[in-house]
Amino acid sequence: MAREFKLPDIGEGVHEGEVVKWFVKEGDPIRENDPVVEVMTDKVTVQIPSPVTGKVLQRRAKEGEVVKVGSTLIVFGEAGEAAPSNPAAARATVAPLAPAKSSPPPPPPSSGEALAAPAVRRLAKELNVSLGALRGTGPQGRITEDDVRKSAQTPAMTPKPATSLAAPAAAPMRPAAGGEERIPIHGLRKRIFEKMAKSNVTAAHFTYVEEVDMSQLVHLRDHLKEVAERKGLKLTFLPFFIKSILGALKEFPALNASVDDERGEIVLKKYYNIGIATATEEGLTVTVVHDADKKDLWGLAKELERLSNAAREKRLALEDVLGSTFTITSLGKEGGIFATPIINWPEVAILGVHKIEKRPVVRNDQVVIRDMMYLSCSFDHRVIDGHVGAAFVQSVRNSLEHPALLFVGLE
Amino acid sequence: MGCASLRTPMVRQVDVLVIGAGPGGYPAAIRAAQLHKRVLLVERDKLGGECLNYGCIPSKALIHTANLVHSIEQAAERGVETGTVKVDMVRLQQWKSAVVQRLSNGVGQLCKGNGVDVLPGNASFTGPDRAIVRTPSGTEEIAFTDAIIATGGRPSDLPAFRFDGKRVLSTKEALELPRIPLNLAVIGGGISGLEIGTFYAKLGTRVVVIEILDQVLPGTDPEAARIVARHLQKLGIEVHTKSQARGWRVDKDQTVIDVLTPEGLIARRADCVLVTVGRRPNTDDLNADVAGVEFAPRGYIKVDRQLRTSNPHVFAIGDVVGPPFLAHKATKEGLTAAEVIAGHPAELDYRALPAAIFTDPEIATVGLQEPEAAAQGRKVRIGKVPFAAIGRALTTGEYDGFVKLLADPASNVLLGATIAGPDASDLISELALGIEMGATIADIALTIHPHPTLPEAIMESAEAALGEAIHVLNR
Repeated sequence: MAREFKLPDIGEGVHEGEVVKWFVKEGDPIRENDPVVEVMTDKVTVQIPSPVTGKVLQRRAKEGEVVKVGSTLIVFGEAGEAAPSNPAAARATVAPLAPAKSSPPPPPPSSGEALAAPAVRRLAKELNVSLGALRGTGPQGRITEDDVRKSAQTPAMTPKPATSLAAPAAAPMRPAAGGEERIPIHGLRKRIFEKMAKSNVTAAHFTYVEEVDMSQLVHLRDHLKEVAERKGLKLTFLPFFIKSILGALKEFPALNASVDDERGEIVLKKYYNIGIATATEEGLTVTVVHDADKKDLWGLAKELERLSNAAREKRLALEDVLGSTFTITSLGKEGGIFATPIINWPEVAILGVHKIEKRPVVRNDQVVIRDMMYLSCSFDHRVIDGHVGAAFVQSVRNSLEHPALLFVGLE
Repeated sequence: MGCASLRTPMVRQVDVLVIGAGPGGYPAAIRAAQLHKRVLLVERDKLGGECLNYGCIPSKALIHTANLVHSIEQAAERGVETGTVKVDMVRLQQWKSAVVQRLSNGVGQLCKGNGVDVLPGNASFTGPDRAIVRTPSGTEEIAFTDAIIATGGRPSDLPAFRFDGKRVLSTKEALELPRIPLNLAVIGGGISGLEIGTFYAKLGTRVVVIEILDQVLPGTDPEAARIVARHLQKLGIEVHTKSQARGWRVDKDQTVIDVLTPEGLIARRADCVLVTVGRRPNTDDLNADVAGVEFAPRGYIKVDRQLRTSNPHVFAIGDVVGPPFLAHKATKEGLTAAEVIAGHPAELDYRALPAAIFTDPEIATVGLQEPEAAAQGRKVRIGKVPFAAIGRALTTGEYDGFVKLLADPASNVLLGATIAGPDASDLISELALGIEMGATIADIALTIHPHPTLPEAIMESAEAALGEAIHVLNR
């Protein structure tokens, strides 16, 4: 008996995924839980295991193809079974009738029974949003234009500048010698596009830079590194930064917050999920240490190592990339002097840490060599007043310069 | 050598070929032109198609006049004194033709103003992207990128009653009679049969209606159909349901038809017989199969939600893709097809397709109907108010009928409406908008409707559904 396997609902807000890699060919035997396909969504890349033992009858998507949640990915069957007829193949036989022309575009998503006015339904088609997957915020769950725009992650723009911007792009341009490469924007990159633009147009960014004397912490970390190695752990500076930030967040709760622009409310979080901006092959992603305040230094080190491995091996689960309340971006060795980090919207602040290097500084009227580091912290000035942001950074600096503070008085 | 190529007929290149200039075709052509396509609109008869020239518009012009005559006659009880009202059918027909002509000219001007080229003639396909048009002056070959088939349909006749234009008439001829017939037989008690039958009855014709099913207006809410049946009786129209017209003969220069009723075989005299038993698609001369267009059962063209046929560059709209045969459905489909061709992400996506029946009284429907809900076993909340409870209806003397709203019992979202009564065709649009917007009956009940007007009946029936009506007793 042939069984169609549809792209499952991987998680909240995930509507489609790109088929990255097939692990099976048509006709292959397959065992339950064997990996079948790797699918990249805008949030995470997942390997989907086989739900059955049997045979792969048909793959319904090509590598690189974007499939919607709920559409058939693959047809399984029992050994010896033949593939059923494919509706897509049946359509293809019609195409040669008009040979010189392009094939028609796929029909827009259906609006189903969703409660939405005609103009909203048309907008959904234009933005390729499936209304069935949306929860309306209007009266009685009606889907509003805003809901559709939000789902499409399109920042609300007035149509006029949009057209005037589009006009020059539409003019045919001769590519320069050497040619151009056009890369479709989807998956994680699309997500980055949308989030960065959203953050940049929404939050009123200001960046505050401070210098930190890391000498004591460098010393402490060198010492603890050996302890960590005996525990089989790799100890970076990140767990210390997290500890330091947790202390400062508890002192200044306004920074552990997000903005609900829709309802015009500031949401203060009573939980501490620290996001770590992480570079992956596909681009920037934010992995999340959940309930960081409930973990000790070793617990943080362990979790960070797990997340870093998972990101490298593309095994990140959805919860590994969702729900951060404050984000750290570490530029490490390529740290430069300072930067202007973009807030991980809808959070209200982000802390950038730069490289640690020995620099001459003045202590007691003497020039001495110390391990120095810059911190670049961006705030949403709508929420965070200048002096609050500055005091937060000073608190972080203080605990990093006197690391004993990281381990006392946090509760 | 060089001259040889000049002799081959020139091929006209267009982006969009629209075949048929009815209420589906001409809006499709105009919208496609608005979206910067080069459009050729081919029409073998008159601009505006069946609706404008032979159907909706002429029938409404005539029906309105008959209602005027009827109202004058009924006004005696209000102290209006007149002599016998006489109708000069020739002048009435001239006036009707002037109305039709004015609208048809308007279509031509709209096409011109929007840059649509109009070509009179018969189009047929010669390939998946080719067609020829036989015009009065010769043949033209067309190469198109996309085509829209909007050829509509035509009335069906019966084996025993073949249209001859003299004694056995289609709706077209019945609306062009130069004299008021003494006796008229109508075979088929559906929408057009009753509309035209009522029109002539109001001008004094003795009308007999023969319907094979068990009610007039089959498929319509029986409560609404019953009100119309009562009025037919008041107008002296003889209605035979569950009856079949068997054949006709000429007796002393009069047509006599034999009708098998449940009570037995009867004969009725008629100057002419109007046959309104359905419509069939106009696809005979199209050669659509050459273009790779596949057909559905009963000769309709198979299309998807974007009106695309099995040839992805040929679209079909209106009556030719199947019932219901409504001009506004064809228009919606035409606009959608044009937008799809222009690359817009459009498709048919309406929740509510309203329909208006110009009987006495009018019936208008939209969305879910009560018999349909019953057939589906779907529970609905119903609010119903008679026009007799509405002050405005009483002041006009026309208060037979009701407004009935159907809503989802859990969410109160409006699902459908049936209106039988004065101006029902004008009242239904509020409810169509309500359904499209996802309105609840509370939204309608809470919206102020001006007094004294007929739409108060809509507000009142929404209140009735919620058990909050003022002018009828809540149960």
